[in-house]
Amino acid sequence: MRELHGIIFSYEKRNELYELAEKRTAASLPFGGRYRCVDFVLSNLVNAGVQDVGVVLHGRYQSLLDHLGSGKSWDLSRKRGGLKILPPFAYQRAWGEVAFRGKMEALAGVRSYLQEIRQDYVVLTEGDLVANLPLQEILEEHIRSGADITAVCADDSDPVENGAYFELDGEGRVSQVLVQPHQPRGKRSLETYLLSRDLLLKLVDDCASRDCTSFRRDVLQARREELSIRGWVFHGFAAQMRSIRDYYERSMQLLHRDVRRDLFCPERPIRAKSADKSSAYLSPEAVCRNSLIADGCKIEGTVEDSILFPGVTVESGATVRGCILFKETIVRRDASLRCVIADKRVQVQPGRHLAGHETYPLVIAKGRVV
Amino acid sequence: MKKECVAMLLAGGQGSRLRVLTEEMAKPAVPFGGKYRIIDFPLSNCANSGIDTVGVLTQYRPLELNSYIGSGQAWDLDYSDGGVHILPPYQSAAGASWFKGTANAIYQNMGFLDLYDPDYVLILSGDHVYKMNYAKMLDFHKARGAECTISVMEVPWDEASRFGIMNVDGEDRITEFQEKPREPKSNLASMGIYVFSWKALRSYLCADEEDPNSENDFGKNIIPAMLSAGERMYAYRFSGYWKDVGTLESLWDANMDMLSPASGLDLLDESWPIYANTRSSPAAYLGPRAEVRHSAFNRGSEIEGTVENSVLSQGVIVEEGASVSYSVLLPGVRVERGAQVRYAILGENCRVGAEARVGAAPEDCDPDAWGLAVLAPECDVAPGRKVKAGIMLNKRGEERAK
Repeated sequence: MRELHGIIFSYEKRNELYELAEKRTAASLPFGGRYRCVDFVLSNLVNAGVQDVGVVLHGRYQSLLDHLGSGKSWDLSRKRGGLKILPPFAYQRAWGEVAFRGKMEALAGVRSYLQEIRQDYVVLTEGDLVANLPLQEILEEHIRSGADITAVCADDSDPVENGAYFELDGEGRVSQVLVQPHQPRGKRSLETYLLSRDLLLKLVDDCASRDCTSFRRDVLQARREELSIRGWVFHGFAAQMRSIRDYYERSMQLLHRDVRRDLFCPERPIRAKSADKSSAYLSPEAVCRNSLIADGCKIEGTVEDSILFPGVTVESGATVRGCILFKETIVRRDASLRCVIADKRVQVQPGRHLAGHETYPLVIAKGRVV
Repeated sequence: MKKECVAMLLAGGQGSRLRVLTEEMAKPAVPFGGKYRIIDFPLSNCANSGIDTVGVLTQYRPLELNSYIGSGQAWDLDYSDGGVHILPPYQSAAGASWFKGTANAIYQNMGFLDLYDPDYVLILSGDHVYKMNYAKMLDFHKARGAECTISVMEVPWDEASRFGIMNVDGEDRITEFQEKPREPKSNLASMGIYVFSWKALRSYLCADEEDPNSENDFGKNIIPAMLSAGERMYAYRFSGYWKDVGTLESLWDANMDMLSPASGLDLLDESWPIYANTRSSPAAYLGPRAEVRHSAFNRGSEIEGTVENSVLSQGVIVEEGASVSYSVLLPGVRVERGAQVRYAILGENCRVGAEARVGAAPEDCDPDAWGLAVLAPECDVAPGRKVKAGIMLNKRGEERAK
């Protein structure tokens, strides 16, 4: 399918992620034992046959750039098209300390890129969305319905930081757009929108000439009457990583088989950069239950209800419960961790006891020695 | 473009002693160590040693191997000048011929080597598991001004008669070569890794080709010919883990070695990484009742049962109530509810049906009749079926003599 073009937004405004987003954007946040959040949208696009993808960067993008590389891991390193990084220096305005003002402004900044899009349709999506969306099916429905914009939403009104919610009428048209409501109601927006390239260009130009910056406010809300905006309801697992609590709860849901079956369905595999680690190893004394264990982990202690990224070491006598340990974390002898999220290469010294709570996990920043 | 050293990897053999495992793929493509295939070892060693041009000589069942190697990107060997080249037998104006022997395989690909006009050629084979810095061996070769350097390692004296043995003088210059000698004079065994000065090798290959009685083999013809001509030939001593995984037993042994650091095979050591071309899949899931001890496992696996002293590759399913011990499970194997697998090698995508039994521990059966149970790739063991120790099944589930 060559008719769809992907644009992924990645920006640093997820302040509820605290230490986890200190040195990275939510898009490059590790998730599920071996992925980065952006792997999911990239795989969604590639699995729908999308060949050209632009990634709009904002701040703290070093980690995301390292991860994306040339796009080879997703077969997006191409002579024509493929992955294009759209860095902030392409914006017309000085960004500097100014907060990100909105997608329409970001798109206006890459107007020349949009002009060159080879496909008739564009999907705008976000790097912090973890879901396995059947984009091909959504595009077919978008074309069939004749909608101007198809807004993908989840079948719930779970609260998310800076979220949007749609109320749909009996025919699936969006009748209300609520942005950051106090009491969420309707369907939770997955911030994934399909529209034609021509309409996108027109909207970008219109907004730019009126200093309108927000897609949700200046397009969805302001033009709800004049455009046909339809909702497409997704019933599977769909997480938006915007706070430590979201991150922890959503990660732990992966320990349920049904969630894994849905998110990692074999028809639409999620691709990630290869970690080049050897097999995981459990020693004769190790106990490991109800956990996701990535390659290269070495476990001599006890691990329960946890998610371990590649190359984590848990020494003998140590216990790890309800934890998420990023790549190459080391838990030394007899240490005990409960409800801890340890960022990359954290070291917990022998005998230390650390505990957070399910509702307030303890986060240890990258590379710290406890 | 001229290269100092080009590696030629002999990957055309069937590896018939691996029996049903190599019925449909060449030995170097056989999975090893949960994550790898045998060919990952020489290819990663090349990449880590700075050798960026590798010819892979294929002949027997090359499909699996070719698709696995792909562009060579997995080993960082996709170069615009050099990189990995698959070299199959080909047809020429004089007719077509298979590779007659290891030396003939190189002879037939002299054109490839001449493209890179190398000073040295490194000859490797695709049936050994080891980590080795070929650059050091090449330095040794250059320092001695040798025409040929053969990598050797000390083996126990009582096993020496199973190897090609090098007799050397005080400077490790080779004085004599004995293929599987009954009474070995030394315990330095050839590891099947050679560095040649290309000019010298080229002339010996041409001479060998003229000889109608030659078997066109490095060990049988080229090395003895160079020795008797008095060429400077040296033994390069290697110490460290090295294992020929040419038989089912040695393949099983080497997999078990991976579980104990004392064996010297440390695949977690990242200073000399072994790369593999793997498919993306989620992290392994260990269920609430999983009992996994002294075992290795890989991504894409779901373990709900008991696993002990075993090596599990990618995408292996062990259902609740199933148990696996002292076994090697290659990618995509499924062991269903209540099934038991003991002392076995299960080929890719095998299924062991519910309550079936495959293999047995040596203490649980007649010691003379005991052996590893082996299932060919894609073999389906029906629920409840008993496959005794020492039995081998082909992909249709029929017994094959071992």
